[in-house]
Amino acid sequence: MIDQRIFEDLQAKIDEETTVRDELHEIVQTLARKGRSTQAILSRAHSTPADQLEQPVKPVLDDAAVEILAQKHEVLRLKAVADQHPFYKYNGLWTRELQNLVTSIELCAWLGGLQEYKSSDSGSFLTIEEVGKFLEVPVNLKEQDAFHLTIEEYLLALISVVEELSRLAVNSVTLGDYERPLQIGNFIKDLFAGFQLLNLKNDILRKRSDGIKYSVKKVEDVVYDLSLRGLVPKGSAAA
Amino acid sequence: MGTKRSWEGQTVVNMSASESTNPTLAIFGNFRDELDEHHDRRERIIKASRDITALSKKIIFALQRVRAIKQPIPQNIIKENDARVEQIYKHFASVTADLVGIKSWRYQRQISGGIQEFIEAISFDHYLRTETLITHAEVVERLPGILVTEEDYLMGIFDLTGEMMRFAVTALSSGKVTPTDAAKAGVLVDLRAIRARCEALSVSGRHRASMYKDLAKKKEVMQNSVEKVERAAYGILVRGSERPSGWTPDLSGPAMEVETH
Repeated sequence: MIDQRIFEDLQAKIDEETTVRDELHEIVQTLARKGRSTQAILSRAHSTPADQLEQPVKPVLDDAAVEILAQKHEVLRLKAVADQHPFYKYNGLWTRELQNLVTSIELCAWLGGLQEYKSSDSGSFLTIEEVGKFLEVPVNLKEQDAFHLTIEEYLLALISVVEELSRLAVNSVTLGDYERPLQIGNFIKDLFAGFQLLNLKNDILRKRSDGIKYSVKKVEDVVYDLSLRGLVPKGSAAA
Repeated sequence: MGTKRSWEGQTVVNMSASESTNPTLAIFGNFRDELDEHHDRRERIIKASRDITALSKKIIFALQRVRAIKQPIPQNIIKENDARVEQIYKHFASVTADLVGIKSWRYQRQISGGIQEFIEAISFDHYLRTETLITHAEVVERLPGILVTEEDYLMGIFDLTGEMMRFAVTALSSGKVTPTDAAKAGVLVDLRAIRARCEALSVSGRHRASMYKDLAKKKEVMQNSVEKVERAAYGILVRGSERPSGWTPDLSGPAMEVETH
């Protein structure tokens, strides 16, 4: 005899989960939509000379910061719902969008925005703790089961930053800026050395971080072209 | 003494010194430790899951030697399976610390295969003894400290139908059960009931990312299983007197097993 209550209970559980997924999905969708506006604004950096980015009125960076803060608001909404459930059960729903947001934050900070969130002694990127502080979410939780930014998400976001900056190195030259490729080169070589310390297994992090060396090479080629022609500014970081 | 050299004869660079001077390297050194810990734990769990799967399969093989349902299982089979269950519990115990709290869902995919196979084994045992399905709550009780999701339970039950199919076909072909009796009560009737109940479950597309994505495949295998028993009953009824002694229906067919992960 098969007890049909067994299957009624299962159906109830499945339906309960569907409701949770629907609720989270709606927030993640909003986060993704706002993320696309942030990225659209930040992509203007490729066509804006560095001295214009750094003017007292920083149109690109200030606009980006406004969008990033709007995204932060969505993350807090997400956190409020996600905190009611096991973190890793639903983490897959938002991990991609959270990574994209961290990439935007890091890019904006590297370009000179969001300065107030950067501690003075850290390098040119925000540490995972600083990102967590900015977003007001915990990071790398190992015991407590709550919403947080994971190390993997943070590292994947940094890889995207490297890729984006290698593109910026090329475009900076086109804008007549011969200084920035050198800064970018130093920065991503620093990160590259960091990634080389990791013992990666055959996972997404391994696959993505394997691409860093191509970004490094891309920037090194730009720097080589500049130095070959004596275009490297005197007294600059790599000279 | 000289400088420290690796086995290749190269001078070993003292990493910790350079890591502490470069902030980026210090940060990544920390990440490396965290990720190493994660990978080690993950591998321990995968290993335990594989061992549990192998032992559970042996339990199931032994149970297929049982010839009647709703009767005590022969002592020799109980004895060998008890030893296997004990080993399985040891494997679970070796990873409970790795699966505590937030880690339970983090490594759910890694242990899930073992859990599903174990559910298949204990649900088959439970079915042979009582002719009822073990409930999710009963499985949870058998695995203290381990997260047993509803998905694991459902997938275990799907796999159980494959075992019930083999058991029913063997019973029919040995002549212990006549095809007309099989249609009235017993394994075939239960299989049809499970099939109907599983077909009635509705899972929305929102679950695509979870394990329910295997649902369609598993359902098809289960439907095949039920039909195999039905065909076997038909074949024996119609051609029963013509078959040579020791004949068993052909169990080979499309999609007997679905890879579980």
